[in-house]
Amino acid sequence: MGKRLSVLLAAGILIMTMAACGAKSDNSSGSSSESNKNEKVYKFATDAAYAPMEFMDKDKITGFDVEFLKAVMEEAGLEYELKNTGWDAMLTEVESGKTYDAGISSVSITPEREETYDFSIPYFESTNMIMVKEDSTIASAADLKDKKVAVQGATTAETLMAGIMGNDNSNLKRFDSNAVAMLELDSGGVDAVVADIAIVREYMKNNPERKLKGILDTASFGSEFYGILLPAGSELKAKLDPAVTKLLEDGTYTKIYKEWFGEEPNIDNVLNAK
Amino acid sequence: MHFRFEIIFDYIPLLLKGAALTIGISALAIVLGSILGLVVSFGKMSTRWYFSWPISGYIHFFRGTPLYVQILIVHFGLVPACIGHTDAIVAAVTALALNSAAYTAEIYRAGIQSIDKGQTEAAQSLGMTSGQTMRFIILPQAVKRMIPAFGNEFIVLIKDSSLVALIAAPELMYWSNVMRGQYLRVWEPYLTAAFIYLILTYSLSKLLGWMEKRGVTG
Repeated sequence: MGKRLSVLLAAGILIMTMAACGAKSDNSSGSSSESNKNEKVYKFATDAAYAPMEFMDKDKITGFDVEFLKAVMEEAGLEYELKNTGWDAMLTEVESGKTYDAGISSVSITPEREETYDFSIPYFESTNMIMVKEDSTIASAADLKDKKVAVQGATTAETLMAGIMGNDNSNLKRFDSNAVAMLELDSGGVDAVVADIAIVREYMKNNPERKLKGILDTASFGSEFYGILLPAGSELKAKLDPAVTKLLEDGTYTKIYKEWFGEEPNIDNVLNAK
Repeated sequence: MHFRFEIIFDYIPLLLKGAALTIGISALAIVLGSILGLVVSFGKMSTRWYFSWPISGYIHFFRGTPLYVQILIVHFGLVPACIGHTDAIVAAVTALALNSAAYTAEIYRAGIQSIDKGQTEAAQSLGMTSGQTMRFIILPQAVKRMIPAFGNEFIVLIKDSSLVALIAAPELMYWSNVMRGQYLRVWEPYLTAAFIYLILTYSLSKLLGWMEKRGVTG
């Protein structure tokens, strides 16, 4: 009994010390951000593993989102810093809003996500594309119903396919990244991959020898819009939104878009998206 | 931090389904890994170089490379080469069993070599063959000494099985990832999964504790 008590006591002391440390570091970070209030550097997080939207080129983060963010922050006259934190860390950091102020990582705006986060106004129109082998008979999303399909988990492709195939359908395989999902298609483990159109096109461009084709089905896979991820109630939204609108209207956005995708964006769709 | 219990309740059936597969994959991998590990340990102790060299290579490879990479190699290389197509669950069990065998082999070897040489000499003076000596004299004593080390290895294996979510084997971590994807929330799925893993590993260590006690007294 005495032994058990002392173990409990030791555990209690340990927890209290940890709590005290946590409180202390919170204080110090609070005071330091107050002292350089005038030129606050906004910290952005991203998961740079989603070429061509955001990816690492050696040790530098690049991609459409990265160039776009640069233009937005210039327009808004704000200092910022972009770090590759990975997906999970980005989500927790942005939700708490203590260390990071925002995230930009091709995050589609959905009602379920809006329960936790705020989003900037939409800045990018995307849709999902079906990727199959050239000799496949699959022609539309409806054809996928009783096929084996690979998607990247935590993407809208997953949500859409779960809607079509059923959330617990074992033929719907969710992978950690699109790269592994596409490898599964190559190995014949699945009949199709569903992913963002930009990702599918980039993959087909980089792997012409694999003989793949992309199928668009706008009736089943409607447009979706990316927004900048913000903590609930973020004051940054009021600063970002006008800058985003300005870039869309003055042609800067079109210029960046053409650099990355080689075609004209449909600006009206993005501006009119709710 | 606001914790949303209602989304956990939404996913409880799927998380439990995933936990059942986690138990299945781990149990199979533990059994296959233990059997293979015994074979491997004899290979390692063999005085013939054409047994001991490849076996040493096997142990070095599976202990010295990340399980993450081993799972990918088994899923996209080994399994399609053997059965013609990919299969996440087959790959999961195979990768975990192959990995575990490399560790259990060393546990067997340490256990067997810890038994005093006098035991072997005594058995052989009674006219036992070396196979009989191993089966009736050495192994029963060695296994008792190995149980704590095996317990450790099995607990590690259960936790390592979470890595097979990588190849979309629909186990516990896989469904946690699905839950994370729907709501873009991190703590609800992962803390729930961690809690379920804790229940699994705690039950296993209790079971092994009971076996150890029974083995020592019985």
